[in-house]
Amino acid sequence: MDLENQKRVLNISEEHGAENVVILLGAAEAEASGLAAETVTAGDPTFAGPLTGVQLGLTVYHICEDEVKSEVDPSVYEEQVGMMEMVMDVDSIHEEMENIRKEYCKYLG
Amino acid sequence: MNNFPVIKGSSYVLAFTPDMIMHSGTTQTTEKVVNPDSEYLRELPKHYRTYEEVVSYIPNQVYIGNATYDDLGNTPFPFYDKKWENAKSDGAFGSIVDEEEFYGTMHISDVFELVLFEPEFAKRVKEKLEKRKFFTEAQLEKLIADKSTASREELERLVNEEHAEGLYINLTELVGVIKRAHDVDVNLSAHVMLENLVAKASNVIALIELVKKNNIKPEDIDYVIDCCEEACGDMNQRGGGNFAKASAETAGYTNATGSDIRGFCAGPAHAMIHAASLVHSGTFKNVVVSGGGCTAKLGMNGKDHVKKGLPVLEDCVASFAILVSENDGIHPVIRTDIVGSHKIGTGSAPQMVITALVGEPLTRAGLKFTDIDKYAPELQNPDITKPAGAGDVPEANYKMIAALAVMKKEIERSQIADFVKKHGMTGWAPTQGHIPSGVPYLGHLIKECLDKKTKRAMIVGKGSLFLGRLTNLFDGVSFIVEANEGSGSVEHDIESSNETVFKAKGTSTKGINVAYALEGSEHGSQEARLALKIAASKGIDTVLCDGADAHSQMEKLLGSGEAQAAVTMHYPFPIGVSTVGKVITPAKGKPMYIANTTGTSDTDRVAALVKNAIAGIIAAKADGVERPTVGIANIDGARACAKILRTLKDNGYDIEFADSARADGGVEMRGNDLLMGSCDVMVMDALTGNLMMKLFSSYTTGGQYESVGYGYGPGIGEGYDKLIMIVSRASGAPVVAGAVEYAANLIANDWKAIAKAEYAAAHKAGLDALLSEISSAKKADVEEEAEVVAPPKEVCTEAIAGIEVMDLEDAVKTLWKAGVYAESGMGCTGPIIQIAPARLEQSMDILRKAGYIE
Amino acid sequence: MAILKDKYVVVIGDRDGVPGPAIEECAKTAGANIAYSSTECFV
Repeated sequence: MDLENQKRVLNISEEHGAENVVILLGAAEAEASGLAAETVTAGDPTFAGPLTGVQLGLTVYHICEDEVKSEVDPSVYEEQVGMMEMVMDVDSIHEEMENIRKEYCKYLG
Repeated sequence: MNNFPVIKGSSYVLAFTPDMIMHSGTTQTTEKVVNPDSEYLRELPKHYRTYEEVVSYIPNQVYIGNATYDDLGNTPFPFYDKKWENAKSDGAFGSIVDEEEFYGTMHISDVFELVLFEPEFAKRVKEKLEKRKFFTEAQLEKLIADKSTASREELERLVNEEHAEGLYINLTELVGVIKRAHDVDVNLSAHVMLENLVAKASNVIALIELVKKNNIKPEDIDYVIDCCEEACGDMNQRGGGNFAKASAETAGYTNATGSDIRGFCAGPAHAMIHAASLVHSGTFKNVVVSGGGCTAKLGMNGKDHVKKGLPVLEDCVASFAILVSENDGIHPVIRTDIVGSHKIGTGSAPQMVITALVGEPLTRAGLKFTDIDKYAPELQNPDITKPAGAGDVPEANYKMIAALAVMKKEIERSQIADFVKKHGMTGWAPTQGHIPSGVPYLGHLIKECLDKKTKRAMIVGKGSLFLGRLTNLFDGVSFIVEANEGSGSVEHDIESSNETVFKAKGTSTKGINVAYALEGSEHGSQEARLALKIAASKGIDTVLCDGADAHSQMEKLLGSGEAQAAVTMHYPFPIGVSTVGKVITPAKGKPMYIANTTGTSDTDRVAALVKNAIAGIIAAKADGVERPTVGIANIDGARACAKILRTLKDNGYDIEFADSARADGGVEMRGNDLLMGSCDVMVMDALTGNLMMKLFSSYTTGGQYESVGYGYGPGIGEGYDKLIMIVSRASGAPVVAGAVEYAANLIANDWKAIAKAEYAAAHKAGLDALLSEISSAKKADVEEEAEVVAPPKEVCTEAIAGIEVMDLEDAVKTLWKAGVYAESGMGCTGPIIQIAPARLEQSMDILRKAGYIE
Repeated sequence: MAILKDKYVVVIGDRDGVPGPAIEECAKTAGANIAYSSTECFV
């Protein structure tokens, strides 16, 4: 994940409390989604950014996952994400995200 | 012949630069700051490829034109462990140079004595580059000149003490440096100069390969547009430019100028549209779009490649050049009329982006998604992006286009995979930002169009503007390329594709032929052909007169009787001819005739209005309105005109007056009546009429394109028997077709007989007497002026100055009235009145009293 | 319990997936506060 983005994630979770922060991803692939999710939960796996060794355990979802999709106005979702749903491999993204969440998320209800 | 510009040639170049991965790639330079002792930095060099491996890598052979993208598509994924048999570093479109050759090109591209080579290295590079035949002897000599070389110790000192950037081979061997170009200015630091020299040098090779591979003379190029992603300039103009001209200079394009266009990865697509427009407009004949590569993106995804045990696949700097030229009837054309753009208000949702770039231009052009044989979005090599978790970028783009086609109900959801296969390509381009953005396909596309394998392709460029932190916007533009309709030579194209005769279609053929002289239309000849096709569908034959002699062709057709009417954009009518436009009024869609003139109906304003009214009645009747109602626009002279028309009616000329729709009624028409069409014939003067015609013809489009109505109408005057219909340069196909239809109606209803009868009736009702009353009233004024006659001539040697030049003649007359002979003239310092010396004082008095002098 | 409502949401979009602004539009309708939004680019 971009270093500037890591810095912002760290600052925002310090400001609002990690339990109040949710990360939403839009990555095109399961693998990239998993890497980003790992970064904001277990720390930067590439050891490059401010989140290196920082286990925030933030709640993280991909925008195409049903858990968050169901909370979004369906017409807005269709307009903004509808087409990419057809393009992305939603199932494998969900599976990858589930694995990361189960292992590292600290604030799942 | 359509005049769309063509893509005449292309070149593609790769420079294998393994040592720059470590020293200049941002993934590595960042890692060196953050984790200087990281395992990644230690492992990285073990994953470098050799030059031979890079040359035989199939995606690279596709890039330089030795293999096709289908060859790549038929290769089982991944590609890095496969080799292209018979791989060569010299390809159909360009070449793959090695690191030493590339350093040499950077040295030759440097004009500021910033690059220094170790002497033995310099000699070796010169020998290598001689074989490539890129450069002149003088350019090669520079490599080994005393000023260009330095000992290894000096090179090391420059790196360690003077902030120079080192040029390395074999991981650690220092063979050259790039010095900083300024001690303080970071914009001219060694780091920035290296990046910019890399961009320039790679561009230079592409420009040289472009002329070599396509048999073009470098001096024929007029303009070069660079579209890379670097910026050059000093601290006072950080992005001043101009990579284009700097590169073209080294490439020997002596007659070219140029400039840079930036748009992140969309830069090349933007630049292609600019180039096409420059050529289409005739501003320049041969425009090259080119872009050098960047060091920053070398090894960008290196961490993933190393982690997965792959070679570092981002090890080449890439560049390209494309030549856009005037239509030669052979090469594929750029449809400058079908361009897609991501607008500021488009939004960033993928379907909005794809709609703006792909869906909207297709809809506008009346094309389906499947009418495009091949789409060329970003063509990144999936071998590079997939292991990095970024997926297969071109494939994702094809799926998005297919998904949009599904949403538009043009294909079924189950057909997405087929669509992607048929209209897509396997990506082969290196991830050098702007380089993969649609343009790598152009070389292959030229060949496919010439081989008649591909008819139509769409090039889509997309750019991540948000990375600049000045906006959150995304960007993109697209354009369509089509195989040239001409099949071999210019002559052939002119003869066979230049359709000029349009025969009536359908059952209602009217047996009428109209000539259309196309001279100066803002919408071009294809729009004209569309207009005549519409007319043909309404049963009217037409002939298109195109070219510089359009008007004389038109006159010939009219003279021989081959055409009974003509439509044209301007015509020198004799004095006394009115023109009667026909518009559609917006309130209820009711047609209305605007009786005015594009010429001069009469030199007197009121007489002109009266004559326009009669012409309006004639045109309306001849167009099929039995008893047209006449209103007079409420303009200067309307009352006087109405008075004369009433007298004519009282004397027996049958005029049906209209009544204003406003509460107080009357024959004078207000603005509201214009919109409502309260009368059939709206009488106006020339200038107001012209304003109204333009307004009524283009109110649905916003101005530039006249889409509604029947044009500015026929010229009608007493004894004038040619039927000339006027349209404007802004008139679109519907208006031109309307003018043809209007002419056909006038002919069918024998407009000449109607005109003759109307003029006879008006004369009988005393038209001549009424018009001469106006002119005799005027003459009285003129005569009063004329009463002043010059006194007997005297020799004038004295001068009176200080009179306003506009008042000079009046001042002379004032003196004449007082019996003083005077002449006007021009002295050294301004206008003067000349006078006999004896009259001087008297004259000064007279002029002073009259207020001409002080 | 809702995932997004009244939470501080950090959006990390992808230029070749779903871009940041598109995710923002969605999250807003679920009652989230957008704390930060960005779009990454892998190419």
